[in-house]
Amino acid sequence: MTVLPVPARRRARRVTSRAVEGQELVLAGVIAVLWLVLGLVTSTFFTASNLQNILFTMSGVAIIGVGMTAVIVTAGIDVSVGSSFAVVAVIIGRAVRDAGLGPVPAVLGALAVGAALGLVNGILVAYGRIHPIIVTFGTMNLFRFVAYQIFAGQQVDGVPPAFAFLGGGAPGRTLGVPNAFLLAAVLAALAWFAMRYVPTGRHLYAIGGDAVAARLAGIRVSRRLLGVYALTGLVVGLAACVTIGGSGTVQQNFGTGLELEVIAAVVIGGTSILGGRGTVLGTVLGALLVATVTSAVTLLDWSSDLTQLFIGVFIVIAVGVDLVRERRRRNL
Amino acid sequence: MTVTPEVGTGAAEGRVGPARRALRFLLADRVALLCVLLVVMLVWLRVLSAGGYLTANYDAAYLASTMDQFVPLGLLGLAQFAVMVSGRGGIDLSVGAMVSLTGMAFGFMVGDGGWPLWVSLIAAVACGAVLGAVNGFLVAYLRFPALIATLATYYGYSSLALLTNSHAPISTPPVQNLIALTQPVDLPGNIGIPLQVFTFLLPCAVLMWLLVNRGTYGRKLYAIGTNEIAARFATIDVASVRFRAYLISGVLSGVTAVVTVAQFASARPDAGTTGNGMALPSITIAALGGVAIAGGVGRVGGVLVAALLVVWLNAGILLAFEGNAGSQYQLAALGILLVVSALLNEFMVRGRPRRRRRPR
Repeated sequence: MTVLPVPARRRARRVTSRAVEGQELVLAGVIAVLWLVLGLVTSTFFTASNLQNILFTMSGVAIIGVGMTAVIVTAGIDVSVGSSFAVVAVIIGRAVRDAGLGPVPAVLGALAVGAALGLVNGILVAYGRIHPIIVTFGTMNLFRFVAYQIFAGQQVDGVPPAFAFLGGGAPGRTLGVPNAFLLAAVLAALAWFAMRYVPTGRHLYAIGGDAVAARLAGIRVSRRLLGVYALTGLVVGLAACVTIGGSGTVQQNFGTGLELEVIAAVVIGGTSILGGRGTVLGTVLGALLVATVTSAVTLLDWSSDLTQLFIGVFIVIAVGVDLVRERRRRNL
Repeated sequence: MTVTPEVGTGAAEGRVGPARRALRFLLADRVALLCVLLVVMLVWLRVLSAGGYLTANYDAAYLASTMDQFVPLGLLGLAQFAVMVSGRGGIDLSVGAMVSLTGMAFGFMVGDGGWPLWVSLIAAVACGAVLGAVNGFLVAYLRFPALIATLATYYGYSSLALLTNSHAPISTPPVQNLIALTQPVDLPGNIGIPLQVFTFLLPCAVLMWLLVNRGTYGRKLYAIGTNEIAARFATIDVASVRFRAYLISGVLSGVTAVVTVAQFASARPDAGTTGNGMALPSITIAALGGVAIAGGVGRVGGVLVAALLVVWLNAGILLAFEGNAGSQYQLAALGILLVVSALLNEFMVRGRPRRRRRPR
């Protein structure tokens, strides 16, 4: 009497990953609970202006997060985004104010400058084969220096509202939702789709999992790496337009600490810093959580330093959960 | 991975010229290269100074006076050295925040609590050790990636530092008297080397050197950085050794905090995080000093010479440019130095095919 093995089909794992990972559901749940609690505890949380503010503040981080997710999925990192943000902001701010650039050429200009900066990183990482953290630490300094040179000691004031349609005020909203958030949502949806269903996007996961194996499997690793860093530069340019739209001034300390906010959002969203796993949806949720925490701390009248403390705690929790899941998955 | 002999070793072709041999030696021995670069830089800046291009004299007295920067940078460079050698992408982004928080604790002990100096010193170092232990626990035992763990603790410690005194520094008289610890030691020739070089940096550097080169801990540290699995099979307690590396980072941050408080005669909650923070310069110095981020490679001497190079280069830049521009150019110099030294490290790795390129 033979023992029939369980038919292979019943035992087979899913070939494609689930559309929404467990971590993202948990994150969405945490945000929902947080909103509920804040709505009950404060009377000002569920006001239109507060919610619009939250959505607007998270947009910049979410937009850059799209690029950063792709970079981190390839087991890289980019800590220079804050500095490239400053460079693009000062160039475009000056161009709009002094040269009278219209919104469309200005946005294109921002994209171009951002992409150029991102390419510098990409070339050094992909072809110089230096560790991304070292490269981007270095370029972070260099770009900040370039930004200071362009500022020439003064902040850029009185930028005309060419980007008001992307800003935080009334002209920046459609049906009450900030345009910046809509932009971030569309971008995230495109990226999500590309990283899941387009081969080039899926290659990123392969590179993050094992770059050598990916190369041997025929993936153009150098080209993809160049691409993700250039993409990050592109989205930084976009985010700079959003922020300039929000305020008429470009200050000299623009972008300081931005890279850490974005990395925090990406990591909280479930993307593994070791590469090979993570989605843009998680990053958007992570950005939303960070913005919610910032708003909550302000509304509850707590010290604003606590925001950073909470972010640190959330990072530890998110990565811890990710590590446990990964270990459990390996043990199966 | 096949072992290929070094191309062009003297044994194979006996006609390698002395110039090529010298070049290869320089590229292989980071300390030698840094010493050469240091001399070249000093000579060049001296020439500029003699020619009147600098706003002040770039002489021995000036160099000695700038060595107060050497102490914190050297100490933190050694801290990064320990965690980077331990491998697995070891890095410590939280050193600046640990300096801030420990500095505040030290300030409270000396300034408000009126504790004697020695007790406060030991307590501050212990405080640094605890902060470093948190990093070590996350990275070594919970297997958190070092980047994330130290990023999170950077957030946590820097906000705690700000919260302890509500953003205000501690500058009570006992704290202000600490500046006596940082007075220059007058040597012949009008040279005044800050006291803390001898009382803080030198002992720590010697202790680190002994620990890493003469103790078993050092052997184990390099082992886990080179090949963690082989080390484990060699019955090395990988987690414990790595944990201690982060502990060392915390201890050195604590010492740096004491020096910083004494130097500024005030415990500032943003001491380690102001401007660009202390993490970036310390990582730059470690990378320049020949410490590989992949682990297993690096020398104490390299880190110290690299720190000296950066300090004196910064000093020269400050003289070369007027006003604020100097600090901006220092920024660019630091960035370029980091990328170039990483390229150099990479070139060294490829030139000597002894280390296999591990896929991350």
